[in-house]
Amino acid sequence: MHILLIEDDDAVAAFIQKGLAESGHSAERVTDGREGRDAAMEKRHDVLVVDRMLPHLDGLSIISQLRQSGVNTPVLILSALGEVDDRVSGLKAGGDDYLVKPFAFDELLARIEALRRRQEAIPQTRLKVADLEMDLLSHKVTRAGQNFNLQPREYRLLEYLMKHAGQVVTRTMLLENVWDYHFDPQTNVIDVHISRLRQKIDKEFDHQLLTTVRGVGYMLQDPADA
Amino acid sequence: MILNRIFTTYTFRFMFSYVLVLGVAVFIMLASVYALYSYEQFSRVQESIAHELDQLELHYREHGEQGVRDYMDDEKSRANLSRFFYILVDADDRKVAGDLDAWPSFREFGRGWLAFEREVLAWDGEAEHREFMARSRTLADGSRLLVARHYSDLISNAKLMLRMLARGMLITVVLGVIGGAWTSLTMLREVESINRAVRTIMEGDLSERIPITGRGGDMEVLVLNFNSLLDRIQSLMAGVRQVSDNIAHDLRTPLTRLRNHLSNLEQHCKPENREEVQAMLAEADGLLATFSGLLRIAQVESGHRRAGFGPVNLSAIVQDVVELYEPLAQDKQQQITLNLPDEKINITGDRDLLFQAIANVLDNAIKYTPEAGQVSVTMRQHGSQAVVEVIDSGVGIPEEKYDKVFERFYRVEASRGQQSGNGLGLSLVAAVMKLHDGKISLHAGKPGLQVRLLFSV
Repeated sequence: MHILLIEDDDAVAAFIQKGLAESGHSAERVTDGREGRDAAMEKRHDVLVVDRMLPHLDGLSIISQLRQSGVNTPVLILSALGEVDDRVSGLKAGGDDYLVKPFAFDELLARIEALRRRQEAIPQTRLKVADLEMDLLSHKVTRAGQNFNLQPREYRLLEYLMKHAGQVVTRTMLLENVWDYHFDPQTNVIDVHISRLRQKIDKEFDHQLLTTVRGVGYMLQDPADA
Repeated sequence: MILNRIFTTYTFRFMFSYVLVLGVAVFIMLASVYALYSYEQFSRVQESIAHELDQLELHYREHGEQGVRDYMDDEKSRANLSRFFYILVDADDRKVAGDLDAWPSFREFGRGWLAFEREVLAWDGEAEHREFMARSRTLADGSRLLVARHYSDLISNAKLMLRMLARGMLITVVLGVIGGAWTSLTMLREVESINRAVRTIMEGDLSERIPITGRGGDMEVLVLNFNSLLDRIQSLMAGVRQVSDNIAHDLRTPLTRLRNHLSNLEQHCKPENREEVQAMLAEADGLLATFSGLLRIAQVESGHRRAGFGPVNLSAIVQDVVELYEPLAQDKQQQITLNLPDEKINITGDRDLLFQAIANVLDNAIKYTPEAGQVSVTMRQHGSQAVVEVIDSGVGIPEEKYDKVFERFYRVEASRGQQSGNGLGLSLVAAVMKLHDGKISLHAGKPGLQVRLLFSV
């Protein structure tokens, strides 16, 4: 994956570049807002990571100019401003995701990968991971022909995991996308939901599809691809 | 009640000693007036007696005994209520003239003044016992002259004066006491209103101030001083909070860097060290969670998020929280019940923060309720207020600690070490409730704890 990083802070940029390189992605870095916009206009990148505060042109202006010019590359906004209205204004300007500094690199990587997947996704009516299948129209979930009865929230959880199969999804991403709340659980309440889902889809099968990635989150993956 | 308070006030005690001093001063003044008056009266009597003696002596020298007799008759006829009595005796103590029967036996007063008592006929013919004051003079031929005057009129005048003064004294004391009571009651009222204001401020919002009456005076100065004292307390508290928030803010970046290094290390370290690195990662995550908890509270308290307020469906939020936490309760074999009103309740607020607040309360309820316990979440509309109640069957909190649990990092002693948590959960709830102009209160459940959240609809 080729990523354009528009970030004026050297330490943050170096840290992101190093991490992305280790994960097998290439990252091009630009420090100036205007240069960043011009580079992004070339549409050579899979994902843009844009800092909000930049010299010459701020992050939100870059994004709205790109969107007006018909550049639809997914954008992840980085910001030290973490308030809800900042998040909302970021997303309104055309950003696809928003991450508050400081952040754990795993969280950034998981979000970048999720963004790329969103871009690639073509409207689907069926999702399939190994022998697990989900019919998005009839809301039927089967594994190896066996039908599961899922609660609405379990269904949405599984749908999100299947749409991001092979990718790590963090707990925050699940809270934001499945439960639709930005909040900080005091207890790892998500773990309980995951283990319930696991009971249903994994328990009676030889291959475990839903795995926990320690310290980061979870991943639904076809064991054959691992 | 109020009387009891008046008598024990400082003002009253002050007024009491004031009245006491005033009473003594007035007494001394009135006594002096009385003494001076009496002295003056007696001086005048003495002067008049001396004058009579002079006149008599003059008449005696010029006209002899007859002159004295004429003068006496003259005097007696002129003033029909004459107070003077006379006697003239010769050298052998025989009465020559005068209306006294004989030379009276008297007491010496000093300085030539004599006193005696005798019966006289009053103008209505009744006999009266009178006291007399007299002076005698020995004339050139050895005969002696005595002029006496009774002074009961003076005494009755003095008595009248004394009675008046005593009444004046009584009035002074009564007025003083009434004035004292009235002043202390007014003062007490003003002090009480200040007290009440201070109590409400200490119980609730430190940013409130005691209203200024605008009447001026000492009380207003006191109120102004009190308000500036509150300003100072508020700024000091804000300062302390600011310091901790700044620390959290400044340490978060290096701590995140540390966490990222650890996470990197975990990928590349030898398998035998992995567990240790993971423990360090968990530790760093805990620290980061505490810091972001502190910063979130600070952010909520700053009030900025009010800008993003909109209509939210509180019923839906409560339902979502219960749905999110239900599996957690079921894992502990707890029964969780949800009672929602038929009609949905909408309030103005921040959806994410409300979710966070209710989630924190429910999280605590599940955490502190033993296995197979009960947790109930009830929502109802009570007039213009929406009430969300979370009742658990856990160990509860001692009533004297109800206020403390809202302080940052405070954890009830029994829960320290036993349960995970950083002691910020309820502080955040309190901050969110305040942001929404709501109220949070704790009540004893039977057993356990009842947390009540009040929102205005």
